Amino acid sequence: MSRLIIRRLLVSLVVLWLVSLLVFVATLLLPGDPARAILGQQATPDRIAALQAQLNLDAPVWERYLSWLGGVFTGDLGTSAATQGPVNDLLGDRIGASLVLLVTAAVLSTLVGLALGTWSAVRRGRAADHTVSGISLVIAALPEFVIGVALIVLLSTTVFPLLPSVTLAPPGEPVWSQPLQLILPVLTLTLVVTPYITRMMRATMSEVLDSGYVEMARLKGIPERTVLTRHALPHAIGPVAQVIALQLAWLAGGVVVVEFLFRYPGVGQALIDAVNNRDVEVVQAITLLIAAVYIVVNLLADIVGIVTNPRLRTEVSR
Amino acid sequence: MSFDKRISRRNFLVGSAVLAGTAPLLAACGGRSGAVTVPSGPPRRGGRLRVGVTGGGASDTLDPHIPATSPDIARVRNLYEPLLYRDHDYELEMLVAESLTSSPDATTWTATLREGIKFHDGRPVTPADVVATFRRILDPDDPKSGAASLTMLGDVVATGDRQVEFRLSEASTVFDDYLAQYSLGVVPADFSMDNPVGTGPFRLQGFTPGLQSSFVRNEHYWRPGQPYVDELVLINFPEDDARINALLSSQVDAIDQVPVALVEVLRSDERLRVLSAQTGTWLPFTMRVDRPPFDDVRVRQALRLVVDREQMINQVLSGQGRIGNDLYAPFDPAYASELPQRKQDIAQARRLLAEAGHPNLDIELVTAPIQAGAVEAAQVFQQQAKAAGVNVRLRRLDTTTFFGENYLSWDFAQSFWYTRNYLPQVANGALPQSPYNETHWEDPEFLDLVRRADRTVDRAEREELLKQAQRIEYERGGNIIWGFMNQVDAFQVYVAGLVPDRTGLPLSGYSFREAWLG
Repeated sequence: MSRLIIRRLLVSLVVLWLVSLLVFVATLLLPGDPARAILGQQATPDRIAALQAQLNLDAPVWERYLSWLGGVFTGDLGTSAATQGPVNDLLGDRIGASLVLLVTAAVLSTLVGLALGTWSAVRRGRAADHTVSGISLVIAALPEFVIGVALIVLLSTTVFPLLPSVTLAPPGEPVWSQPLQLILPVLTLTLVVTPYITRMMRATMSEVLDSGYVEMARLKGIPERTVLTRHALPHAIGPVAQVIALQLAWLAGGVVVVEFLFRYPGVGQALIDAVNNRDVEVVQAITLLIAAVYIVVNLLADIVGIVTNPRLRTEVSR
Repeated sequence: MSFDKRISRRNFLVGSAVLAGTAPLLAACGGRSGAVTVPSGPPRRGGRLRVGVTGGGASDTLDPHIPATSPDIARVRNLYEPLLYRDHDYELEMLVAESLTSSPDATTWTATLREGIKFHDGRPVTPADVVATFRRILDPDDPKSGAASLTMLGDVVATGDRQVEFRLSEASTVFDDYLAQYSLGVVPADFSMDNPVGTGPFRLQGFTPGLQSSFVRNEHYWRPGQPYVDELVLINFPEDDARINALLSSQVDAIDQVPVALVEVLRSDERLRVLSAQTGTWLPFTMRVDRPPFDDVRVRQALRLVVDREQMINQVLSGQGRIGNDLYAPFDPAYASELPQRKQDIAQARRLLAEAGHPNLDIELVTAPIQAGAVEAAQVFQQQAKAAGVNVRLRRLDTTTFFGENYLSWDFAQSFWYTRNYLPQVANGALPQSPYNETHWEDPEFLDLVRRADRTVDRAEREELLKQAQRIEYERGGNIIWGFMNQVDAFQVYVAGLVPDRTGLPLSGYSFREAWLG
């Protein structure tokens, strides 16, 4: 199995490299350069020339790419055109803030999704099951910003003014120092992802519960709870892990919209800003990061799939 | 695998009943009573004012001389002060200087510094500091924003304990106007970005680019009693909805730039006040007078006649503005108000286009969200032009691309300008050497009039020349100036001291020294 993981990791590195190349070319194709983008309408020709020289924008394209790539291997993500400081400094706190959001939403939605899915599979055809499927279908159909705006209207500004609508952490303090401000963004992401996990879990669980070995276990007189946790759940987890992985990978991208909406100081907001500023090195760093999350999460899902499937497990270790 | 999507009729009914049951509850919670009263009486000291400001990002700066975005400008306005600036009525107001006088021929201007004025660190402001400030702004290797409009400035010399002399290379009768810019803040001779001190009402406490900056009251401020609040926090908001929501959920006390479509919504909330200020801010269509078909004056005049200005104000600005007459600088004493108001005249426009040989004109208009309402204005114009048989194709870009390499070479595009008086506006956008001559305007008769006006010391005579120059722009210029936008901001009802400001800068011109909390 370790050979498979190593092979997957090597392929991932190649994918990451291709992503970096693509992003670099794409940002070059965007019209406008960082100097003009930063100065906006205040750009006098003199100021543009001064800033372009400062930002080293006159060096050849391939030279700029190679020096950036070299930096990545030594842990230095380059210099941001907008802040004139290292990208590492710009992203340090923001990566932490985004991870808090991602991990909390991921854990919550996985637990809730698995529990709800199992629960409605057990109560198949009854009112509870229909309610869960109905609601999850409606929520799954809504894009994340609609859910976010609806939550703000409901819980922050208009109906029940209970929670803050935007994140306003004082400078120097981490975002989690004011946990109330995290509730709405986390809730939005959780609501977006949970329905898929719930529906997948329900479908897989229903199938498993109808299978012969569950029937056998029941006939042996094993209590229903044990049947569920010992016999049914392990079989349902494998396929669901794939869906969870897809959803979590989606979270890494979906966080951009949610951060924008809640003014959350994470990498998503930095990415939007960097694209507007044509800040190539920051765009690359963040895209690589998101791509890395995709790859890692998918890899984890494959491992879970192999571990929970005896047939695959033995095939691979052979 | 199969998903069971059936919802039985019974469950549907249960669900609907639950929803219906909560509806009155929601309605009951919607309207909140305004327990807070409007502050009155003398200003109260103390408290913390939190302001949500549009835009900004990783490139945020505290540099006094290169503010680019709204948060930059807001910071500069509260940390630093120029020698003089514009007050809320767009009249000149002395700040670091207590007076500014010109020699009879307008080639030498002398500023006298305010007695006892100090920087944030308590050191007095000296003429040497002013000289160093202008050296920093005009640095040939790194000229700052203000340098472009100070091309006539030769030498800045300290001539006394409190006197600084500005020696010009050519006469300028409105040099005081050129000096009245927020990007010309006076800083100490040993200024460094690590210690950004000035003479402004607030002193820096913390700054995180792209997120927020905080300030405390400057105890050395020269205006007695001001500022009233102890602490000022400026918070960046890249997105409109987040800014409005922050105000509605009371996370901030004031926000700038309310989208005009939301003005009525916010007005109906009794916890909030909407501040709408008439300004000289304009959002013109720019036609390059050196490129066909706009090189034909008949085409330019026809397109000006195509515009229904009232409709523009109503549809683009939701009524938050005043109609324009293809002339800028409405607050200038020399504004040519005697010229007849141009109105939509489709018949005349068709006639002019036919004479010019373009009965079915087809043109491309380059537009971008460079300011709230810009893209909408382009869309309304496209509809209005149809009536005169003109087909306008819209080419929509993002702002960065709009101001990219091709900015200043679009044939037909849009622009955005804050309030300025006539001659400073001309210097910025209507001379061959102007940094932003979008219409490539180079009319010899106009240039001669402006050059003479710049040197004419006699006020009445100068105004006469300026009126003639405006008539030329009215008759053959390249700008379609359909209106002046109001600046609309909003704040919580307990905030006082914010007043309408004509400069076009939001929230009382970002002058938070006058704000106080009730």
